[in-house]
Amino acid sequence: MTIFAEIVTITLRALLGRRRTLLMLLLAAIPIIVGLLVRTNARPGQVDIGAILDGIVIRVVLPLVALVFGTAALGSELEDGTAVHLLTKPIRRSTIVVAKIMVAGTLTAAMLVPSTVLAGVLIAQPGSDPLPTTFAIAVGVLVGSYLYAAIFVALSIVTSRGLLVGLGYALIWEGILAGLLPGSQVFSVREYVRGIAETLEPASIESIVGSTAVVYAAIALVAATVIASLRLAVYEVRGSD
Amino acid sequence: MSGAAPATRPPVAEPAPGVSMAPGTPDAALVLERVSRWYGNVVAVNDVSFALGPGITGLLGPNGAGKTTILHMLAGLLRPSAGKVSVGGQVAWHNPPMYRSVGLVPEREAVHAFLTGRAFVEMAARLQRLPDPRAAAARAIATVDLADAADRQVGTYSKGMRQRVKIAGALVHEPSILLLDEPFNGMDPRQRLHMIGLLRSMAEAGRAILFSSHILEEVERLADGVLVIHAGRLAASGDFREIRRLMTDRPHTFVVHSSDDRRLAAAFMAEPAVFGTELRDGRLTVQVAEFGGFTRAVARVARSVGVSLFEVAPTDDSLESVFAYLVSRR
Repeated sequence: MTIFAEIVTITLRALLGRRRTLLMLLLAAIPIIVGLLVRTNARPGQVDIGAILDGIVIRVVLPLVALVFGTAALGSELEDGTAVHLLTKPIRRSTIVVAKIMVAGTLTAAMLVPSTVLAGVLIAQPGSDPLPTTFAIAVGVLVGSYLYAAIFVALSIVTSRGLLVGLGYALIWEGILAGLLPGSQVFSVREYVRGIAETLEPASIESIVGSTAVVYAAIALVAATVIASLRLAVYEVRGSD
Repeated sequence: MSGAAPATRPPVAEPAPGVSMAPGTPDAALVLERVSRWYGNVVAVNDVSFALGPGITGLLGPNGAGKTTILHMLAGLLRPSAGKVSVGGQVAWHNPPMYRSVGLVPEREAVHAFLTGRAFVEMAARLQRLPDPRAAAARAIATVDLADAADRQVGTYSKGMRQRVKIAGALVHEPSILLLDEPFNGMDPRQRLHMIGLLRSMAEAGRAILFSSHILEEVERLADGVLVIHAGRLAASGDFREIRRLMTDRPHTFVVHSSDDRRLAAAFMAEPAVFGTELRDGRLTVQVAEFGGFTRAVARVARSVGVSLFEVAPTDDSLESVFAYLVSRR
């Protein structure tokens, strides 16, 4: 097994602790439940798949799940001291960071992409084709999972309050400021996710960044990974004295 | 703590094998050259220099003295604020390849509780890219005498077992340098004895081992040389016997109750071992230059002036005061 696979395996096992996984599965179930409710209660001609998936998955569930996995993947190990065993091995810091982002992003995507697709299909009206919109948003969610994960992994190295700062970013920056200052949406993962969906299926969602979202997302992903690696390389472990 | 104090040489006892005060020692495995580390305004380690070769060295000091900070700087987990830390001839900070020849046993117990002891040690072996991780892990587990419990989850381990599994993980790649932070914490006497034997045999194989402890007897039983740290400073270094002598020969203060404190105080002043007496609030305190000399003289002096002794008690026999004394002896 390679070093990378080794770190991936141990991180997966640590992240799939029973209570956290259950909680995240519950979050991932929310879009499906909403989909069921819409399917059973909505009147014909009323539903907009894009708007519903945007409101639930992109705005709420995706950042929350990614936040929990992203800050736990490395941050909780730095916090509880288990990371020391990893840090005192002859391993490139970027290897550790990429492995952690991979795991956090994959777990987030593994929970939310199926949930998005299922919700989209459930919401769809008889006779309409939900697949293009659902597929476009699911791809956006897939990319967003890794991007959020990278940012939250980096955040958990930079600050010991990664969860709090990440929550602040998702709620205040993306949730409130982006509405008040449209220019700030250029620095918003949510907007990139919407942009990617719009690029794939123009009828799905309207975004400000449009197809440049792909470029922004790529830059943000690389930047977060590089910053995380550089910061982990100079991460200090204080003792009790 | 006086951060502005000039670089002072700590009192040096006779050099023990493996311990040297000269950072230039060519084959030294662990070297600190005028190293300081501060956290904001707090000085944790203050202008410490030493060079250690193969053998076992004890890093002795009270809790909070800066032992962990020194070990973490050697382990490349902390950047020195000033000075140079090198391990095996390489700079310790920001240098992951160094860990091929270094093993660290941290003080915190943190090991993923869901792993079995064997899985933890095998993981360490694979992360070290050992050719046969399974065999190396089995060897390390046998070395720390944990084979019976190796397939149980670490979460079910006692404190001493967790300590041993961490040690197995740290020595699975047979490092030439081993750093251990309070390795005996939580071990029962039998485990301690086993660990002492283990570390001794590793030192005999030519490894440089530095372990921290706040317990004098542990260091005395195990270490060839000792570094005494107090309040971030190197208080003394060298051979343990020499330091033991410094510690027992230091000035002491005794409180004495007797049938006539005033007369006794006057009589004490004629004793060479006594350099001060004070009678205040009905309490006689006696400053003595040397512990042994005074304890031998006290009964004789009292008898010679016809005073009955009710109590003779040293006031400052804590390890803390021993360390404080060693630091002040410059």
